[in-house]
Amino acid sequence: MNKKSSEKAAGDWLRERLRATEPPADGELRGDLWPRMLERIAEASRGRELRPSPVRVPWFDWALIGLAAAALLFFPALVPALLYHF
Amino acid sequence: MNRHSVLRAYLAGICVPTVFLLVVAAVFTCLRYVYNIPLPVERVIVFPMAAVPNLWGLWNILFVRVLAPRRVSLGLFGSLLPLLLAPLGFMVARILQFPVPTHLLAAAPIGLPVGMILYYLAWKYLVGSLNAELELA
Repeated sequence: MNKKSSEKAAGDWLRERLRATEPPADGELRGDLWPRMLERIAEASRGRELRPSPVRVPWFDWALIGLAAAALLFFPALVPALLYHF
Repeated sequence: MNRHSVLRAYLAGICVPTVFLLVVAAVFTCLRYVYNIPLPVERVIVFPMAAVPNLWGLWNILFVRVLAPRRVSLGLFGSLLPLLLAPLGFMVARILQFPVPTHLLAAAPIGLPVGMILYYLAWKYLVGSLNAELELA
């Protein structure tokens, strides 16, 4: 008898806990979902605007890269000296 | 984010050479111990390990505090750093009795402009992006 009552108490406690945790499903929408959807779309587009744009390298920087690469190709002895100063 | 701008400028400045130091140390170690190049590289490795990153940090502090408000180009300012580093590196090598190969000295008139170009690019794109990320300039 004592065991049964303790099992019942444990079951009641568990039931109460579950009820407290899980809200009852009412099966109805609590509001219009479309404004929330629009908000999300706006947020996503704002995020895209904030994302950094790809780096634009002007033509003279490309020329400098080419010049430096050519110099290192023709004078490989420069490489350790440049590494020493980097 | 206006606090600790000097510290942020220093950290942004030292970041690039500190990361690149991995490459430098790996190349020098391979040259010395794998290919047995008879140059005592370990005698002068302190220069790229300590002096160069600190000078980059100080150079960036100077830029952020003094030159950025005057709209000076970061790339151009960074390209001037080899003019200080090259003689300093040579002096360190001489003080530490590092035998500088003569062909390296002969290549200096080409090496200095190439170094300035590489510094210009590194400062403009790498340090510049770090400064922008840390909202410095």
